[in-house]
Amino acid sequence: MESVTVPDPTVPDALDASLPVDDTELVRILAADGSVAPTPAAEQYLPLVDALPDAELEQFYRDMVSIRAFDRQATLLQRQGQLALWPPSWGQEAAQVGSARAARTQDHVFPSYREHVVARIRGVDPVDIIRLMRGLTHGGWNPYDPKNGNTHIYTLVLGAQTLHATGLAMGLAFDGKSGSGDPDRDEAVIVYYGDGASSQGDVHESMVYAASFEAPEVFFLQNNQWAISVPVATQSRSPLFRRSAGYGIPSVQVDGNDVLASYAVTRAALDEARAGGGPQAVEAMTYRMGAHTTSDDPTKYRTTAEEQAWGRRDPIERMRAYLEGRGAGASFFAEAEAEAQALADDTRVRTNALGGLDADQIFTNVYSEQHPLVEEERRWFHAYEASFEGGAS
Amino acid sequence: MSTQKFLLPDVGEGLTEAEIVSWRVAPGDTVEVDDVLVEIETAKSLVELPSPFSGTVGELLAGEGDTVEVGSAIITIADGAASAPAATAAPATVPEPEAPGGAVLVGYGSAGHVASRRRPVKAEARPAGTSAGVVAKPPIRKLARDLGVDLASVTPSGASGEVTRDDVVKHASQASVFRNIETPAWGEVREETIPVAAEESDAVRPAASAPPVERAQPTESSDGREESIPVRGVRKAVASGMVRTAYSAPHVTVWTDVDASRTMELVKRLKSSPDFADVKVSPLLIMARAVIWAARRTPMVNAAWVDGDDGAQIRLHHYVNLGIAAATPRGLLVPNIKDAQDMSMRELARALQNLTTTAREGKSTPADQKGGTITITNIGVFGMDAGTPILNGGEAGIIALGTIRQKPWVVDGEVRPRWVTTVAGSFDHRVVDGDGMSRFVADVASILEEPALLLD
Amino acid sequence: MSLGKALNAGLRRAMEQSDRVLLMGEDIGPLGGVFRVTEGLQADFGPRRVIDTPLAESGIIGTAIGLAMGGFRPVCEIQFDGFVYPGFDQITSQLAKLTYRHEGALQMPVVIRIPYGGHIGAIEHHQESPEAYFAHTPGLRVVSPSTPNDAYWMIQEAIASPDPVIFFEPKSRYWPKGEVDLDASAVPLHASRILRRGTDVTLVGHGAMVSTLIQAAALAESEGTSCEVIDLRSLSPVDYGPILESVGRTGRMVYAQEAPGFVSVGSEIAATVAERAFYSLEAPVLRVSGFDTPFPAANLEGKYLPDADRILEAVDRTMAY
Repeated sequence: MESVTVPDPTVPDALDASLPVDDTELVRILAADGSVAPTPAAEQYLPLVDALPDAELEQFYRDMVSIRAFDRQATLLQRQGQLALWPPSWGQEAAQVGSARAARTQDHVFPSYREHVVARIRGVDPVDIIRLMRGLTHGGWNPYDPKNGNTHIYTLVLGAQTLHATGLAMGLAFDGKSGSGDPDRDEAVIVYYGDGASSQGDVHESMVYAASFEAPEVFFLQNNQWAISVPVATQSRSPLFRRSAGYGIPSVQVDGNDVLASYAVTRAALDEARAGGGPQAVEAMTYRMGAHTTSDDPTKYRTTAEEQAWGRRDPIERMRAYLEGRGAGASFFAEAEAEAQALADDTRVRTNALGGLDADQIFTNVYSEQHPLVEEERRWFHAYEASFEGGAS
Repeated sequence: MSTQKFLLPDVGEGLTEAEIVSWRVAPGDTVEVDDVLVEIETAKSLVELPSPFSGTVGELLAGEGDTVEVGSAIITIADGAASAPAATAAPATVPEPEAPGGAVLVGYGSAGHVASRRRPVKAEARPAGTSAGVVAKPPIRKLARDLGVDLASVTPSGASGEVTRDDVVKHASQASVFRNIETPAWGEVREETIPVAAEESDAVRPAASAPPVERAQPTESSDGREESIPVRGVRKAVASGMVRTAYSAPHVTVWTDVDASRTMELVKRLKSSPDFADVKVSPLLIMARAVIWAARRTPMVNAAWVDGDDGAQIRLHHYVNLGIAAATPRGLLVPNIKDAQDMSMRELARALQNLTTTAREGKSTPADQKGGTITITNIGVFGMDAGTPILNGGEAGIIALGTIRQKPWVVDGEVRPRWVTTVAGSFDHRVVDGDGMSRFVADVASILEEPALLLD
Repeated sequence: MSLGKALNAGLRRAMEQSDRVLLMGEDIGPLGGVFRVTEGLQADFGPRRVIDTPLAESGIIGTAIGLAMGGFRPVCEIQFDGFVYPGFDQITSQLAKLTYRHEGALQMPVVIRIPYGGHIGAIEHHQESPEAYFAHTPGLRVVSPSTPNDAYWMIQEAIASPDPVIFFEPKSRYWPKGEVDLDASAVPLHASRILRRGTDVTLVGHGAMVSTLIQAAALAESEGTSCEVIDLRSLSPVDYGPILESVGRTGRMVYAQEAPGFVSVGSEIAATVAERAFYSLEAPVLRVSGFDTPFPAANLEGKYLPDADRILEAVDRTMAY
């Protein structure tokens, strides 16, 4: 039986080799130091990377740097009492940027609740994510507004979105919006979930349905090693990408801190799915550098040594080294930094300026058609508020 | 330059307090937005708090080791430059814990929300539900059922239009008297004769033998222990009349106590009214009106049993010659007021006064005493509550008005002193049935209780 | 036609009127559903519109949600009442709340058909009455037809609704026949309806219990008590109008249901009627319900389920006030 590889905190430098035991299956193009060192499994994906213009590569870097700054700023805002909580995406930038940039305009995206850069890349205003975490909405944006790039809202019940994604993908197949052979027209769905969620029944049912109906869908699992305080070894005794494979879904494991590899495998998977090849799966090995959310305390269940070890495999530094190796100059990096800082500042200013909600919204949009009980309670509430001296508070 | 306060936020979804572990700045230090100010420890973890403001540190409001509640200020910073170097001029201020709408501000959890009671505007009474039919709460419906009251006939007095408990109780106490009774008019015909069937009249023929009467002994005893008073004149006439009546008409007396406070009030008011300035007004006047009114409702009390050769008859009078029993120097006289039913209150008062004065002066004529149809005897003047009066000859009813005095009475569930009296009536049971006599006495009493019923 | 056939006809009509309408559930294709409600439909509309799903209820509901997100109008069949629970999270955390979560940007026109109730002598989990869980969940609409005519029209109206509708089908009534007016709908989806006029007591119920109420009313009539019978039809929202008007006249009400009484639909209706018809009530509102136990072995279902006698016992009790 294969053993899942848990990074050994006492042997930091052995991580590269220990992940996984057999490197032939892991897709990696960039080593931790940014050098180009494709694993055997990565060979078939190299043409996809080679086809990327410099501007796109630079965009990957800028995406990652900006979102890290945004993410840090959001955490600070929470510490200043501006947000109820913040789930950081720190450390997972490469997996998210690579996969998001691999999707086409016409594709449909189902995040879980940590895919901030995915949402941003698709067109969602990051402050809409802030509003969710600030208690101003349970959603944040309209997935059907074209500016949001078919990005669905965050789902907080773990794994529930995988069924929704599968259903949507089934509908694409039914309507012939997929599988015509034209990749610029054919639509596909990508759904994001984590190692913890991969234990949920809904995730398994979604794979049963996706396989059965040959849904044009990519299951993108970010294995960030931790489900709050529970290590992935508790979720599974075998590598997670073998699960989807067990459902007959072609599955690949990728180094999720390598943005090039993440891009490549997702691009290939999405194009295969949209071409009528049925569902595909990707397991991106990465690390949740931060806490689960701002309410969490990782010092209680994992070691600083482990965090530091994964820090040495940082996705942004890796890409920076790679770009430097390709001749990117100091001004490029400075601009990227400035751009990131601007995003952070803008986020802070706009967050501090966010107002409150009108109580009437409690009763709004419960149903699409008016419901007499809701309307009755809405009327009662307004009369009740008006019954106090000074009117509604 | 303004001074900003940084309030301790809830950093862990529902925390209420934190301990200051170590300050990273001191008063006077210059800080930029997001610089770490302090490390705190919460129930969940150690957390560094970044500054929301740029400027100069003013005062540290809590010491290391102190436990601070979420929402309290921990540091002041004199706001210097704008907080966002490359962004708009809007300064980064930390809003007060009361967010617009009064909601709990996110990040300040539940500790910042102080329980309060807003003051309601005085509410108006809400109208009762619009169900068809009577508006009454279930317990009141039960009460009505228990008392035999038809809710639909009760006038509701509740604020929302509902029938109240009081409404039902009042209605019940009236209904027992007036139920199913109409008060007829006096009508054109003055006398009406009702034959009594032969079997009935035989059955009620007076007893063959009267009890023996002791013969008068005209002597006086020599030792003065015995005195004999010859019976003559008025006394003789009255006595034989009484014997005749007492031993021919089966007498039944019924009585009831009544709260006559309203009669007393009315009498008082009439006395001070200019219309009655020149006549005597007393409870007897009200009693007289009551008897006349009640007689209209129970006509049999205003009648006579008449024996005849072809059998007995009951003669019903459709007028009232109201006899007033008067104790006079000459003896007991019963002059009557002719056609008292046609008199106004004032006329009746005058008639009563005249009658009383005349009787007291001993000037009542035989005509005055003839033709009476019903009699009132006022034993209350003697301080008596009730008695069993003997019918005036040729009549079927006599009513005794007892003394009116303060006695304990139950009003609205409490014991209160009220003007209470007893109304008693004796009746010729050949003419008046049990329910008739009770109803008549009850009617009279109800007038004493509520004289306004005379407005009927 | 029977209630089952009426549903079949209604589904067919809805599918003919819009190609966005899909049916999905276990064994609904060639088998036509274990109660034959979907009989013949896959043959006519094809396997992409009448879909046999894998055996996974959460999957049925969750993928239906995804299909609705893509513009379809899925009609899910849960094979038996007792099997809805694996899908409970998708129904209550997702389906009921997605419109609210999206602040109105997304509609969820999903119908979930659930055969429910007892009187078929089945084994465990096949005779449940779980309607209260769903009526209690804001964001869901819950209805239950009692007659073939109502079934025919209500299923179409449910499919046409932009909101999620939990459609409870009284399985013991699938086979008995009744008149169906194929031309016009008698009443709106969420209306309650007086089925029998009376003057002494108002009897209210839903689903299979309605026919029991009619029987009880006939028996009561022969004993001198005149009962009015109201079919609730919609459990969320509840149409109180006819009920309150009736209680305003009779002053007495009995609610009957197969479901366990504690925290049931009947409890809510009793409390609301007591509040709004307070001044009209001659007696407290009574409830006749299944006992607060799990549904017993079928051998005992006749004792467990309210029948005419249990209803008449309540009628006697209310008349005694």
